[in-house]
Amino acid sequence: MSTERKNPKMNDEEVRKLVVARLSVLSSDMYIAIGSEGSFSRDELIQRVEANDDIGKEVADIQLEWLRSWKRRLA
Amino acid sequence: MFLFTRPDYDPVTKYLSAWSKVLIDEVRAKAIEVIDLVGAKANKKEFEGRLKKKRPSLIVLNGHGNDDCVTGQDEEPLVQTGDNAHVLSGSVAYAVSCNSATRLGKEVGAHVDTAYIGYEKKFSFIHTRGFFKRPEEDPAPRPFMEFSNQVVRGLIKGHTAEESVRRAMDVGEGHLRKLESSLSDPNVQMAAAFLWRDISCLIVHGEGDKKVI
Repeated sequence: MSTERKNPKMNDEEVRKLVVARLSVLSSDMYIAIGSEGSFSRDELIQRVEANDDIGKEVADIQLEWLRSWKRRLA
Repeated sequence: MFLFTRPDYDPVTKYLSAWSKVLIDEVRAKAIEVIDLVGAKANKKEFEGRLKKKRPSLIVLNGHGNDDCVTGQDEEPLVQTGDNAHVLSGSVAYAVSCNSATRLGKEVGAHVDTAYIGYEKKFSFIHTRGFFKRPEEDPAPRPFMEFSNQVVRGLIKGHTAEESVRRAMDVGEGHLRKLESSLSDPNVQMAAAFLWRDISCLIVHGEGDKKVI
């Protein structure tokens, strides 16, 4: 039996999948205005996250920070 | 006397402009004079001219921005590092704009008797399709508006820049708690994440004890 443990940290691909999953359940009429970059629909944001461009990275960053902070707040 | 810049040429600026209109009505109800640079009036020439002539104690800048500037109508820079940051000296400035509390905020806040309140990262909010022409009626961004507008409401009440930022954070946290009670709704989860980010990157540079009235 292996005693090897999986690294609890998510890699970039896993993070993108998590963020896309969170975005995909948003209402189709919901938009997110991201500073000077403009307003983005759910589907546009999913594309940006999958493409891993600057907006996609920003959204993923905010989601991860929020989940971490939420965990701290609940602790 | 207070001055507001309210460019309104795209969805983001239309929302910010509508949020400031709420504040302008509240300020005028208190018999405080307001210079309202809305739409095409939110240009550098008008902005600098009014500042020089009227010396407002509070300057609220709505618009797109970056580390070095805040813009007006059609992204014309109104105030910029290495150019005219001094025009805000002697006042409290609040920029509802991205990233400007990094370099620009530091440069403005280095002036004597001056405070600069702004965001160190991108200011973001949630809104709903179909409300671009009547953003004041869109319920989705209301927690963001109440958080942001509380900075100005605190200043109008006579609080210092530092206290006003703290009270705005408290108001934002209150809205966050309300959102957290409905986290089974994915839209609410998303709103909470972005509101939390906005709250966490609001800061003041310079004279935190400065008041506007």
